[in-house]
Amino acid sequence: MPRRTRRSRFTLYISRFTPWRIGSLPLAVLAGVAFFGYALATWLPKPPPKPDATWTRILDTGEFRVGIDPSFPPFESDNAQGELFGFDIALANELTREWTQATGTPVRVEYVYSGFDGLYDALQNGQFDAIISALPYDPKKTQDVLFSHAYFDSGPVIVVRAGDATTKTYYDLMGKRIGVELGSAGDAFARRWQRRLKFDLHPFASPADALRALQLRQVDATLTDLIAFNEFARANGDVQTVGAPLTHELIVIAVRKDAPTLLGYINAALNAFKRDGRLEQLQREWF
Amino acid sequence: MGILNRIGVVCQWARQRAQRRVASYGWLAARAALLGALLYALATPPPVLVTLGEQHQVQTTNPKLGVHTRLTDEVEEWKIKKTLELVREMGAPWIVEYFPWEYLEPNEGEYDWGHADLVVDHARRQGLTVIARLGFVPAWARPKKSAPGYLDEAYYPQFALFVAEFARHFAGRVEQIIIWNEPNLNFEWGYRGIDPGGYARMLQAVYPRAKDANPSAQILAGALAPTLAPPGTADAMNDLDYLQALYDAGAKEYFDALAIHAYGWTSAADEAPARNRINFRRTEILREIMIRNGDAAKRALITEGGWNDHPRWTKAVTPAQRVAYTVRAYEIAQTWDWLDACALWAFRYPFASQTYLDYFAFVTPDFDPKPIYYEVQKYATSH
Repeated sequence: MPRRTRRSRFTLYISRFTPWRIGSLPLAVLAGVAFFGYALATWLPKPPPKPDATWTRILDTGEFRVGIDPSFPPFESDNAQGELFGFDIALANELTREWTQATGTPVRVEYVYSGFDGLYDALQNGQFDAIISALPYDPKKTQDVLFSHAYFDSGPVIVVRAGDATTKTYYDLMGKRIGVELGSAGDAFARRWQRRLKFDLHPFASPADALRALQLRQVDATLTDLIAFNEFARANGDVQTVGAPLTHELIVIAVRKDAPTLLGYINAALNAFKRDGRLEQLQREWF
Repeated sequence: MGILNRIGVVCQWARQRAQRRVASYGWLAARAALLGALLYALATPPPVLVTLGEQHQVQTTNPKLGVHTRLTDEVEEWKIKKTLELVREMGAPWIVEYFPWEYLEPNEGEYDWGHADLVVDHARRQGLTVIARLGFVPAWARPKKSAPGYLDEAYYPQFALFVAEFARHFAGRVEQIIIWNEPNLNFEWGYRGIDPGGYARMLQAVYPRAKDANPSAQILAGALAPTLAPPGTADAMNDLDYLQALYDAGAKEYFDALAIHAYGWTSAADEAPARNRINFRRTEILREIMIRNGDAAKRALITEGGWNDHPRWTKAVTPAQRVAYTVRAYEIAQTWDWLDACALWAFRYPFASQTYLDYFAFVTPDFDPKPIYYEVQKYATSH
């Protein structure tokens, strides 16, 4: 008689569930458990994340330290008495006003001066909490700092005489006379497109000269940044922009990587300013 | 019949099975062949896509026009070639390029000329003349944790040997060699304390060995940083004072030409030279110092210089000013009969530094020529 090995009842039971024999019921139970586990992990409300140390300190001290290089009007500059003024100053003040209302804790801005090229290092060294200094968005720096949503785009725009309906996009520049500031971003854009759109390029020594040529009908359109446009339009009033900037030079706020709560509050405030028109109002005031 | 039928069925089954097996082996063989081909393609080096190409000549109206390239850190050959093509097409026959000692002699006595050969050969094929700047002390030739500008006098013979090997290797291809960079800055002198006498002794060590290796090589000294640093400043020494001190230390016999850095900062190219001004024509004062020290017969070459149009840097000008000053500087340089080349900083960086330095460039890292490139090209090729 061949010798039979003895197998326990449990072994026999388990042997029924070899991979190719698992029935639909155990599979359904497993799937159900996995589903509820996932639901618990993702859908159920979680406790709010702990505020970062920077934000906590801002609320504790009521002091929001901003790094700035006040040498770039109309974004920021200072007068003989050392008083700061400009678009970024107004924006920083508006941010702290918003936070004061939102948190009930009075917050004020404390400015820390720094050379522009040293702003990132000073931020990382903890000399201030954020950079608000007409800082261009730099994708390469995203590994080092967190950037806010953009609050200004200083890329070149098409400017035409008021009432000119013949130019709606840059394709409509074909065959026209285009004025630019020599060497500017608008000039670079125009030179890239000149061969395709076959327009006459007229370089000028400054954006104001190019806009004046537009006014005098020496050119049909001018490519310049919004700041130069607004300055000229405020004094002359007979020019208008067409469409969005041709290339984007986004101006943002930077905070350290370990300050996501602060970034969240900055972005929430910027979104609110965009919604209720405060950002546009500040731009009208300073540009 | 029944048996015959069964035999027939079995035979048919066997035949089909054999056919399936053959088909299966066929597929297997095809897959293996495909895999083999893929592995072979991966293992075989790719064909050479970048070649030196045909010999070019620079078409220019100003044979002194030049730029300082930044190809030392450029890895891909096509980018090296593309950069040098753009230099030629701009109408610039001269380039200055940096060849760090550390890269070329990573271990004492072991030379690696590969990348330097690549740059020089592509430049020559584009019709460009290369001025080599040598410096950057390898780790083996300086104390641990010291700056790459630190070279103890005990290691001057090793540096001289390296320069000689460089001169010998590139004889006939690179005939202008700049010894060191801006030794009047403490940072460039390895934080050892600025020492014109020490630099004179370096030239004294290097010059005879380099000339032995390649008698026709032109050894350039100087390359001083233009600065108004008052006497006693630790970080920098006034370039005019430094040059005189260099002559006083007996360096005259140990260089063939003077390398000059001619930055304009915020001044126009035409602004008159003055000892208390940093401007392009400060070059003329350096030339006067050469003449005063009996060196009128020697040539000079501008190996750095130019303007910056960063919107925020305090030493920058507007883009339109930069264009005008740059073109005018090339015009002025052409009138100086004692000057061989005017190579301005910097043609193109391999990557953006995201600082004001990017605004010295003529072409972006993505090979997008800036308006200044087209304006210089117009000047150099159209009149």
